[in-house]
Amino acid sequence: MANAEVEAVDFEPEEDDLMDEDVDASSSPRATIPKLKSAITGGSSSAPKKTKGRGFREEAAEADRNARMSARFDSLDSEGGPGPERSIEGWIVLVTGVNEETQEDDLHNDFGEFGEIKNLHLNLDRRTGFVKGYAFIEYESFEVAQRAISEKDGAEFLTQTIHVDWAFSRGPFKRRNARRRSPHGHRSRSPRRRF
Amino acid sequence: MGDMAENDEFYLRYYVGHKGKFGHEFLEFEFRPDGKLRYANNSNYKNDTMIRKEVFLTPSVLKECRRIVADSEIMKEDDNNWPEPDRVGRQELEIVMGNEHISFTTSKIGSLMDVQTSNDPEGLRIFYYLVQDLKCFVFSLISLHFKIKPI
Repeated sequence: MANAEVEAVDFEPEEDDLMDEDVDASSSPRATIPKLKSAITGGSSSAPKKTKGRGFREEAAEADRNARMSARFDSLDSEGGPGPERSIEGWIVLVTGVNEETQEDDLHNDFGEFGEIKNLHLNLDRRTGFVKGYAFIEYESFEVAQRAISEKDGAEFLTQTIHVDWAFSRGPFKRRNARRRSPHGHRSRSPRRRF
Repeated sequence: MGDMAENDEFYLRYYVGHKGKFGHEFLEFEFRPDGKLRYANNSNYKNDTMIRKEVFLTPSVLKECRRIVADSEIMKEDDNNWPEPDRVGRQELEIVMGNEHISFTTSKIGSLMDVQTSNDPEGLRIFYYLVQDLKCFVFSLISLHFKIKPI
């Protein structure tokens, strides 16, 4: 604990210098460190964040993680653009606001009327053992899933209002309050500790 | 909608792993603010290969993830008195929500017994259950979308 803090303090001034000078030095593992962070928090929010936790004081772990996350990730072939994305065997719908005492049969009864349910996940809260509050339902066809969504979204289910929507999307969504990155974003990446 | 929380920034990453005789074995997933879910699972046991998958989620899914996090009240906790990562393994939980950013680390937690005998059983219990609920959520997403067994 105490050690970690001392180390962090020692690193800080050097870290600033390195980032200013070595942004393009791909040979330096340290030069890649700010990238993921700025992808997460940089540019999209100007307010400084309150930070908490030992994870902010571990350089080695962060370098490790950047190495892991910079690898290639597989995805299903997608057409891109807006709209729901097909999963490998069908179309997945998310139901939220699900009553904690729901049984799988209740969902089968209500959501099976649109078409055959290929798969149903009704996950439980690990602490209480009750339903966590959401369910995933898989339908074979787009049309059936679409009909379940339009008829059930906002409906009442076991005394609660449920929301029903697609689970997967063809591409990223834009947050309504997304701010543009500052034009000098590349130069002014802040050291991560300031977030 | 009048729901401010929905517009706020949200990012979540969880990692659990260790480095041992089968190399670096780990499970990691990440929810990004643009809706991208990334999932990586590397188990070298019997030459299993690395699984790396990514898919975009709808705002509804991200909102539900956020609800699970908010309900847990994990953002009020602190990892100060949690067991430190050790040779047996480490866990990392990083969350950005609103104007708060946590990055917690701890050792692997074998059972509730480890939680109860720790110096912060209340906080660690919240972490312990939240991680299980998040894994459950992510495993459903990954297994339904890709039809792989994500364990």
